[in-house]
Amino acid sequence: MTDRDWTVYDRAELRQGFASSRAGDCEVTVALDGMHCAACAARAEKAVTGAARDVRVNVATRSLRFRYDPATTLLSALLAALDRVGLEPRLLAAPDAGDRSRQIRRLSLARIGVATICAMQVMMLAWPSYFGIDSGPDIGPLLRGAQLALSVPGVLWAGWPFLSAAWRSLRDRQLDMNVPVALALLAAFIASAVRAGLGSGELYFDTATMFVWFLLIGRYLEGRSREKASEHLRLLASRRALTAQRRVGPAIETIAIDALAIGDVVIVAPGETLPADGRLIETAAELDESLLSGESRPVVHAIGDTVLAGSLNLGASALALVVERLGGDTVLAQIAGLLDNAGHAKPRVQRIADRIAGHFVAAVLLLAATGAGIALVEGAGAGGEKAFAIALAVLVASCPCALSLAVPVTLAAGTSRLAKQGLLVADAGALTALAGVDTVLFDKTGTLTRNELRLRRVISLDGSDCERAMDIAAAIERGSRHPIASAFATWATAVLAQDIRQIAGAGIDALIDGRRWWLGAPDAAPQPFKLPADAALQPDDTVIVLCDAASAVALFIIATRVRDEAAEVIRELDRRGLQLELLSGDGAVAVGALAGRLGIDRHAARQTPADKLAHLQALQAKGRRVLAVGDGLNDAPLLAAADVSAAMPNGAALTQSRADLLLIGDTLRLLPLAFDVARTTRLRIHENLGWALGYNLLVLPLAMTGHLAPWLAAAGMSLSSLLVVVNALRSECRSVSAFPAPPTRPVSE
Amino acid sequence: MTSLYLLIPLGVAVVFGAIAAFISAVFDGQFEHLDEQAKKLPDDER
Repeated sequence: MTDRDWTVYDRAELRQGFASSRAGDCEVTVALDGMHCAACAARAEKAVTGAARDVRVNVATRSLRFRYDPATTLLSALLAALDRVGLEPRLLAAPDAGDRSRQIRRLSLARIGVATICAMQVMMLAWPSYFGIDSGPDIGPLLRGAQLALSVPGVLWAGWPFLSAAWRSLRDRQLDMNVPVALALLAAFIASAVRAGLGSGELYFDTATMFVWFLLIGRYLEGRSREKASEHLRLLASRRALTAQRRVGPAIETIAIDALAIGDVVIVAPGETLPADGRLIETAAELDESLLSGESRPVVHAIGDTVLAGSLNLGASALALVVERLGGDTVLAQIAGLLDNAGHAKPRVQRIADRIAGHFVAAVLLLAATGAGIALVEGAGAGGEKAFAIALAVLVASCPCALSLAVPVTLAAGTSRLAKQGLLVADAGALTALAGVDTVLFDKTGTLTRNELRLRRVISLDGSDCERAMDIAAAIERGSRHPIASAFATWATAVLAQDIRQIAGAGIDALIDGRRWWLGAPDAAPQPFKLPADAALQPDDTVIVLCDAASAVALFIIATRVRDEAAEVIRELDRRGLQLELLSGDGAVAVGALAGRLGIDRHAARQTPADKLAHLQALQAKGRRVLAVGDGLNDAPLLAAADVSAAMPNGAALTQSRADLLLIGDTLRLLPLAFDVARTTRLRIHENLGWALGYNLLVLPLAMTGHLAPWLAAAGMSLSSLLVVVNALRSECRSVSAFPAPPTRPVSE
Repeated sequence: MTSLYLLIPLGVAVVFGAIAAFISAVFDGQFEHLDEQAKKLPDDER
């Protein structure tokens, strides 16, 4: 049991953050980290029963969901009761999206069930007519009436999604695949209903109910694959903290997350979620960042590191951090926003498929009318029945369901597969573009090398004090986001730099105590200097120079660390037939050494952003499709101009980077996988589009000449859609075995 | 044959009953977390 103050959760203004309201009641989900067994589950249920209703325990996700009436029950009392029995309750953010998708899932399951029952029953009732048995004037009407009664839920309710979608698309003056479907359903239903009333003529109730059933199954599978893609988003949302413990002087108070301000010191207890991005003070931390980066192992952070909201404190003691970013500015919120965008944006290939489907539908309607017309003319008086059957078969058989499914299902499968590993596809279209890429441009610092740099040595050039030089350099670099600045971040200095000017690709210029200082790469130094003989430079070292108005003052030797995975990733990409190039603003020695070590043949040193851009455009002019990999901030123009861009985001720069692919795990490891997934996805899209078009073109002539019965057409069309969905999910299934997803802590149902 | 006059409407009524039962089961969440009840089983013996 902890001595936590739960009363903060009774405040009405906070409630919308965690509770969804149901007819005056509030429904909340509580994670119970202390629940390990069935006995705990029973204890949890007992603790809240009485005051709460609809109590549901989920042992698998260690969560408890219940409803309570805020007017008569205090949530704090319920939480305290759970806490007393040692279940460590933790209120989860309102499962808004989860709730809605659960409703949708239930409704579609209900529709499938109803369609199944009705289709089977209607067929049973229709079987005398299959064998040409005349049921006679007494039983016949009874059988027809029963079929009609069962078709009302089977066609009109279960098929409602298709009918309403068709109505919407007609209202927007667009033709999509729902139009011929709805037309076929309504035509079959109405004609059969009229004939059932008249007591003569063939009935199509069985065809209509079966068609609905087939369509619903395809739709359900498609929905499941999309839902999988948004699962990550739901998990992210549930990691939002609702309250924070703020330290004011010696006291600690619990406040709503909205009341938090930048610069506040917050305390995060073990097992709690970090409420905001901030800088770690006082102690080191062990965090679970699996949702943010895909890294499943605990990550250890030192004092002074920036830690991210949504991480879980896995350590044994409480952490203290100074808030740096809040709410929508946190990396967690930005990732959620990007995922959300990616889910809604329609890539180009999808728009093309939609347009084709639109033309296709128009053609189908025309063909159905033509086929029916010809049959009517040929058969003269008796042709009416045949004409109706042909029109129905054409409408059903040629429904381009598979065509409109082909692209979205495949893309969703690909992006969700990458997201699970920690690579976000911000624009789904980038996945298809990536498949065509043949050249990869790498930046050096922060991309192939690690972001943290270590200052190895300071050499005074004019005999002045090294510490003074450090003070000045640290002051100049303090506001900079360039990776080099991290080498100075740990040096505490009271010196204040003013009028800091960044000179792209060269250095930084600033005013300190009335004197102008310059800090940057040796090649661009305004004052001449000589490298001391005892500098002992290593190949991976970066040298920067501090100059004043008169002379060079000091040299800083900064050791960079090549990413552990870089060499392997380069090898893997090379094996995939990609041309690799390294472009860097650093000196020729450092760049050459790195390129040699990693096995990159083409490299260029001392590149300004403008040089890099020119090089990229030259490549593109030669017809090459280029993927640019950078750290997202210093390479922004390059990333923007490349066909596809991938960024290693350093926290704040996440949304500014505008990259198509975000390596949120801060590792290059996923690049080869991204190429594999992109190429597989493109292949699947082509297969699916080819199959969908080919199938429709094959069956249309059969349906038009009356060789295809309407029920057979319904079965064929549905199988075609099913094949497309299964083909798209095929790569998804394989990914499970080949690349196990990082285990994520169950946080919400 | 006369029994069919009763049995067919009765059959249809039973099907509608089944439909109603199924829908209420779906919205009660009976088809979610299918392994949940199995995990609770040991607890019932107490």
